Amino acid sequence: MISWTAVWAIVIGLASLVAAYYVIRSKDLVYASSALAILGSMVAAELAILGLGIVSAFLVIVYVGAAVMFIIITVSLLGLRGDERRNSGVGVLVAVLTAALWFGVALSAGIYGLYVAPHPVGMTAAVGGLLSRYALVVALIVIAQAATLVEAISVARRGGGNGGE
Amino acid sequence: MIANPVDLAIVAFGILVMAMGAYGLTYSRNLMRQLLSVEVAFNGLLMMLLPLLSANASSATYFGVVVISVVSAEIIVVVAILLSYYRASRSMSSDSLEEVPER
Repeated sequence: MISWTAVWAIVIGLASLVAAYYVIRSKDLVYASSALAILGSMVAAELAILGLGIVSAFLVIVYVGAAVMFIIITVSLLGLRGDERRNSGVGVLVAVLTAALWFGVALSAGIYGLYVAPHPVGMTAAVGGLLSRYALVVALIVIAQAATLVEAISVARRGGGNGGE
Repeated sequence: MIANPVDLAIVAFGILVMAMGAYGLTYSRNLMRQLLSVEVAFNGLLMMLLPLLSANASSATYFGVVVISVVSAEIIVVVAILLSYYRASRSMSSDSLEEVPER
């Protein structure tokens, strides 16, 4: 008997497949990047089903809410079009090879018993672990994010020719 | 083995989403579409690898937070570079990458 959780996981997985297909095949880049936001939300829902609530919230807030929205706004303001030359045969070959490779990885991980149902981690435990065991990593991420922000502003202003001067 | 059908379904869909991202990366010559395809592949990888990394109770949470932070920074840098490239060449095609004029 399949549980309702499994049914929801399958339904959301199918929706994420549809969203991924729309990202790739949509002619309008605004719609394609909007479908990427939907895909990110579907992945967050799958992670919430797995019990990774903090990662799910982080994905929605930081990835969908900030990064993907940045793409959508950039594409909308520039008025980019999606017409391009396409190479379908190589794409199918690469997709099949990628799927076969990762099915092999997943099968190996299953054989060696690496897949374990995750235990829910509370916010206090997550923050405590990040700030104690991974404090250096968190510091590096903060520095990298600040450097990224400065770099992105610098690149975007420089590209305009007389925009930054 | 993966005993839980929920884990099995999520891992299988993650692999398929990642394969679609790889397909889009080679299918299109538009740089913005290629960036979107890379992000599709990243989402598939996240769906596939987080159950794998959850053997330790909290490592999946730490891994997820760190990876999402880094990928968000990567998106901002790549979009800024694409914006600069588009202003220089008025094109988003990867075929014309070698034709960007020196400034």
